Amino acid sequence: MNFEFSEILETIMMSEVEHFDIRTVTMGINLRDCSDRNINVVTQKIYEKILRLAGNHVKNAESIEAAYGIRIANKRVAVTPVSFIGDSFSSEEYVKIAEALDRAAHEIGIDYIGGYSALVQKGMSPGEKNFILSIPQALATTKKVCSSVNIGSTKAGINIDAVKMMAQVIKDTAYITRDAGSIGCAKLVVFCNAVEDNPFIAGAFHGITEGDATLNVGVSGPGVVLEALKNHKDASIQELAEVIKKTAFKITRAGELIGRKVAEKDGVEFGIVDISLAPTPAEGDSIADILKEIGLEDVGAPGTTACLAMLNDSVKKGGLMASSSVGGLSGAFIPVSEDQGMISAAEKGHLTIEKLEAMTAVCSVGLDMVAIPGDTPVNTIAGIIADEAAIGLINEKTTACRLIPAYGMGVGEAVDYGGLLGKAPIMGVKVLSADVFFGRGGKIPAPVRSLTN
Amino acid sequence: MNISEQQIWDLTNQAIDKLGANASPDMIRDYVEKEIANRHGGSLPTEKFEGRVIITAFGINKPGIVAKITGSLAEMEIDLQDISQKIMQNFFTLIMIVDITSSPRNLKEVQEELARVGKELTIKIYAQHEDIFQYMFRI
Repeated sequence: MNFEFSEILETIMMSEVEHFDIRTVTMGINLRDCSDRNINVVTQKIYEKILRLAGNHVKNAESIEAAYGIRIANKRVAVTPVSFIGDSFSSEEYVKIAEALDRAAHEIGIDYIGGYSALVQKGMSPGEKNFILSIPQALATTKKVCSSVNIGSTKAGINIDAVKMMAQVIKDTAYITRDAGSIGCAKLVVFCNAVEDNPFIAGAFHGITEGDATLNVGVSGPGVVLEALKNHKDASIQELAEVIKKTAFKITRAGELIGRKVAEKDGVEFGIVDISLAPTPAEGDSIADILKEIGLEDVGAPGTTACLAMLNDSVKKGGLMASSSVGGLSGAFIPVSEDQGMISAAEKGHLTIEKLEAMTAVCSVGLDMVAIPGDTPVNTIAGIIADEAAIGLINEKTTACRLIPAYGMGVGEAVDYGGLLGKAPIMGVKVLSADVFFGRGGKIPAPVRSLTN
Repeated sequence: MNISEQQIWDLTNQAIDKLGANASPDMIRDYVEKEIANRHGGSLPTEKFEGRVIITAFGINKPGIVAKITGSLAEMEIDLQDISQKIMQNFFTLIMIVDITSSPRNLKEVQEELARVGKELTIKIYAQHEDIFQYMFRI
């Protein structure tokens, strides 16, 4: 037999017991050819193009799932940042684009559609301003549309005016979707150094340097890493790193295979594998549990950042060897609400926003799915975003904020979305003013790091 | 299934001629499906998955498991290439490598049939394309 008994059983254990799945196959679609001065023509063109290219995306992905016996949790589409297609439109017209995206997403049966996005790290056109102002309404009237705005980059600096605007947009989105636990905020990301081929929601968009259509894949698999570590109770840290590396290799190989096969069926080019370890709220499929298995009493203990850095780096090393095209965000994710261990650490008060912020310096992607009190002032939210962006700016990495100022709620309560989004306990925020700083306006210039030529 | 641009063009022209101005999307879909089916000998061509498939079965041991599974494989004209079986504390594990290229059934149908057999025997049967193991365990 070509394969060992143990190898075949290991694969089946991974998918049946250890929650291994492909988190997402995301088809990126270029919408630049859908522009027109008439909004109705634009929405029609967008709808038709998505149906034409991704009409069978879900069916194709399902047939690959069946053939290889590996689940694909989400099938998604990401489009060109919408602000590029409609720079002449008003906010109301942008909302119509969001609605067209949502209709297309429902029609083809995908889970989410990303790309209601703008890139304003250096400055903002009047159209982009209209776009940003349209976000709360767009997220309130649609179900599957996800939005992201890039407000900083190592090459351009941080656009503080855009940060302030986004803080207000987050507050407005929380208010306008207050009846559903401010769920709009779970579909809105503020980035520094956004990447163009990220398959993960809510930050996925089809970069403007990409071709007409590509298929990017994101893997999951904290449960598999956790199980592997459980078998190495007495191992040294180097040995653990080696175990994680080998496990990440296998996970990524599976991701690469599934991605290539889905791309082939969809008839589009294969893009990248994002080798992030994405957790799910399922018991045991948790980054926090991995950190505890490495040897912490709970996440948030001193040592957490060090363990996370080791985990993230080992995952990358294994993944790099396994795939010929690694891209996207590629690092361990630490979304609070989507990880059972993180939820429990936050509820016990072991994990604070400040510790999370430190952790994001060594992994992707940032303060992700963090619920904060609904009455947090706008400038405090802006401060959190700016701090997170500064980490990305100086370390030449992607950082992001997906903050949920849950309307009408305070510390001790939680918003529960169910499904992959999970449950977010409200975490306390230091309400010290940064009003004077934000009152100054302007931008943080590009750092010395940007001068690499 | 591969259809050339010329065939699509011909089919479109035929549909216009036959259905005229009253055509609705449903009518066109019916017409095109029928035409394609005609060209493929009466049924819509189903996709064919070629290559080797690894079948894994688990469950409480009892007589006749291998007989039942191999019997159903034979019925589907599937070529059995390798078989390996272990009993661990009354727990039955079976791994088979089969080639479904020569079978008239596609992988999905094979999986459905095996699921039915598994249910009958109250065991779990998986059928996965060989590539997944090739990718994960071989460089």
